[in-house]
Amino acid sequence: MSDVATDRATKVRALDHGTPPERFARGWHCLGLKESFADGKPHGIDAFGGKLVVWQDTRGDINVLDGYCRHMGGDLTQGSVKGDEVACPFHDWRWGGDGKCKAIPYARRVPLRARTQRYPVVIRNDQVLVWHDTEGSAPDLDILPPELPGVGTDEYTDWTWAVEPIVGSHCRELIDNVVDMAHFYYVHFSFPTSFRNVFEGTVATQYMESKGRPDKTGGYGDAEMFLKSEATYFGPAYMINWLQVDYKGFETEVILINCHLPTGPDSFTLQYGITVKKPEGIDDETAQYISKKYAEMFGGGFLQDVHIWKNKVPVQNPLLCEEDGPVYQLRRWYEQFYTDQADVDPEMTNRFEFEVDTTKANEYWHEEVAENLARKAVEDEAAESVDAGSPPIMTGT
Amino acid sequence: MASFVPTSSDTLEDQRLYTRARLVDVACLDCLATVGVKKNSEHHTSIQWSAEARGQCPEFARRTDGRAVKYGCPRMIASVEAAVRDGRVPIGAEDGY
Ligand code: FES
Ligand SMILES: [Fe+2]
Repeated sequence: MSDVATDRATKVRALDHGTPPERFARGWHCLGLKESFADGKPHGIDAFGGKLVVWQDTRGDINVLDGYCRHMGGDLTQGSVKGDEVACPFHDWRWGGDGKCKAIPYARRVPLRARTQRYPVVIRNDQVLVWHDTEGSAPDLDILPPELPGVGTDEYTDWTWAVEPIVGSHCRELIDNVVDMAHFYYVHFSFPTSFRNVFEGTVATQYMESKGRPDKTGGYGDAEMFLKSEATYFGPAYMINWLQVDYKGFETEVILINCHLPTGPDSFTLQYGITVKKPEGIDDETAQYISKKYAEMFGGGFLQDVHIWKNKVPVQNPLLCEEDGPVYQLRRWYEQFYTDQADVDPEMTNRFEFEVDTTKANEYWHEEVAENLARKAVEDEAAESVDAGSPPIMTGT
Repeated sequence: MASFVPTSSDTLEDQRLYTRARLVDVACLDCLATVGVKKNSEHHTSIQWSAEARGQCPEFARRTDGRAVKYGCPRMIASVEAAVRDGRVPIGAEDGY
């Protein structure tokens, strides 16, 4: 062996934890379904290391400001909506959606400097999206996630929406999933049979075809479920996942939104929503039920990830094998959102295509699943012979 | 402002190995675009475009549907396959990269 090779083979690999970023990502972030803010009250949303106040005005527009009053720091989310403005519970200063203080009922005039941080809002697919940039740039409408044709009409079920606060992990752990082919087998109990990534500009996509593992339950479907999935991050925090599900020959089109809001240096709020294209000949109630079932399945999937994140350490220098996806290229892409716009390196945004070789993995996984099934069959048989003659005591778990 | 800063200089070398090492230039047989290609195995392909090459590809210029970016340019794919057949792109990985 050459010196270099000997050195490589004997040197102990160290984990580089690195240091987390000092800022929150630039881009569009989803706060939730629009209808959840439509009750005429101010709502508090943890985000970007602080708290936002969100309310709907008389025109039906959604407004988002920093949650704390610039007068004496009152918590606007505990105030009330008066007319089009949010009123502070402390001294009743009235703040408009444009960030300006519109009135101080007990004062002769409003100080000219009474302006607070506002977040530009766009409603997309019935959801509230806000633009965040520590540099204070104007919102970039060109990089908004696309509108989903038909969603919000009778063609699709209503969104089933869920919110899951995650503490103890940086949201980049979630982003890494985009390229993580093998975890789908080990964490989500499915076989990825084909896996491809394309990154370009502010968009990063994973294309995957997979089927459920017959030796496990509680993952992404069972052995008779085939998934064709196209999952795209539009910016740092909002993914649309188009899924074609084939279950025993019955095809369903599912759209999953997977988005998150960073709340602190190692915490974020995961939100996900599901809508299903109503299959022909199925009544609305059943369609909504199917949608709820898918939400439970994917919700369970997220919790499988969360368990891993909570217990792992951050790694700046992942050690990869040939069957892994392009972790480094994905992170290079993700870095652009933590870099001043003027310093974004073309390497971060240049088109990159990667086809993962799943052949070796599938060979091995098929063998492993076959062994598991064989072992289970033997165990079941043994259990049956022991049980013979004894009264049936069964639970569903 | 820095983000995700590695604490070891070895990490910078890892970043180089995984993103840039072993990329072989392949020119499109139909347009002026040249991309960096790596093949760790028969079924694996990594293609790195530059802004220049991306701008030179007429196939991408024709595509207006955002979701169509999924597929690579068929001419470039054919060019890469030809380069592999000619032995200009070695098949096989180094130590996982
Ligand atoms: S702190 Fe808000 S009105 Fe005084
Ligand atoms: Fe996952």
